[in-house]
Amino acid sequence: MEKRKRFETAKIYVAYGFLLSLFGNGSVATALSITVTEFECVSEQVLHEGDTVSGNFVAIDHDIFWSSDHPGIDFTATAPGGSIVSSLKGTSGDKFKFKAQKSGIYKFCFRNPASTPETVSFYIHVGHIPNEHDLAKDEHMDPLNIKIAELREALEAITTEQKFLKARDARHRYTNVSTNKRVIYFTLAEYLVFAGASALQVLYIRNLFSKSVAYNRV
Amino acid sequence: MFRINFHIILILGLMSTVAHSMRFDLQSGATKCISDDIKSSAMTVGKYAVVNPNEGSPVPDSHKLTVRVTSPHGSNYHYGDHVESGNFAFTAAETGDYSACFWVSDHKPSTTVTIDFDWKTGVAAKDWSNVAKKGQIELMELELKKLYDTVSSIHDEMFYLREREEEMQQLNRSTNSKMAVFSGLSLFVCLSVAGLQLWHLKMFFARKKLL
Repeated sequence: MEKRKRFETAKIYVAYGFLLSLFGNGSVATALSITVTEFECVSEQVLHEGDTVSGNFVAIDHDIFWSSDHPGIDFTATAPGGSIVSSLKGTSGDKFKFKAQKSGIYKFCFRNPASTPETVSFYIHVGHIPNEHDLAKDEHMDPLNIKIAELREALEAITTEQKFLKARDARHRYTNVSTNKRVIYFTLAEYLVFAGASALQVLYIRNLFSKSVAYNRV
Repeated sequence: MFRINFHIILILGLMSTVAHSMRFDLQSGATKCISDDIKSSAMTVGKYAVVNPNEGSPVPDSHKLTVRVTSPHGSNYHYGDHVESGNFAFTAAETGDYSACFWVSDHKPSTTVTIDFDWKTGVAAKDWSNVAKKGQIELMELELKKLYDTVSSIHDEMFYLREREEEMQQLNRSTNSKMAVFSGLSLFVCLSVAGLQLWHLKMFFARKKLL
């Protein structure tokens, strides 16, 4: 009877340990695009103090054909207390990483200084590695869980970098397609303007020598 | 009875740590679209909810939002009209930009609605609790399975990036050759126009008996 009760309790604890391992590791990943007309903010919740927040963003310039290139996007990351943790100005895309000093809701804001709306593709990852303090709190968490969490974080770092490269590749592709189009259209426009200018020249010279205008002027 | 309640509360307490997701503000009357580049046959799961401005009382009507999730070609995957929360899940039929657009109906004093949005694709979208239940796998093995899936997706992503880089090289080479052709052509156009000009003016002056 005694043994059965202990076994039941043990099963329940294993179930909780299982749930805790599923939910208690707090790694969040979002890879999304948002159109920034002027100022857009995204908030992310950081559950544990000491978590590493890493991420990147890329401005996918794809609407500019006739004007010059976009000046870049300004980025700020604000802590729950209001202090600015990370700030990047006038970039077309960059990475950021900081250690969260306190838990709470962190705000990530993008500002577009130009008048054309810009699509920004961003990825934010909040990584948590359980430490000895968490180990002490829950006796069913193995030191092996820490190693697994470290491995998971390392893989997430690779994934973060890949998302950045993918977004940069998308931006690069737009630039190349635009270059290709510009080569064709601007060259054809150049030919037309050239032929038009020389036709105007010829007409003007003919006009100079026509009988209606004073013949003896020349 | 007391023990069961305790367990339920504990489970709920543990599950509450799952509620971390992205938040953004939406002005009443404005539309905000969030898009994600999803590969075909990838699983994707999304959850959205309005953050209640006053706890306890139900969400006011002015804070209800309209959602629409569309595929790259415009077909509708999910539509929610004047709801305060909801979720969607689908397998992407084609590769491209899927967008989820949120809209709050216009309200006289312009209100700002905070929306909690969670959109997961691929490895993160997989239902791990189901996998565990089905195979009766212990938690360490589950963690390692998750890591294995992550590594496979990294590998696939590398292939994809390599393909895209190859396409980019093709495009660059074609642009390069186009530039060469068009520059040569522009020289030819310049010389021929100048020649035509000269010939035409010569004819003109010969006719006018000036030359």
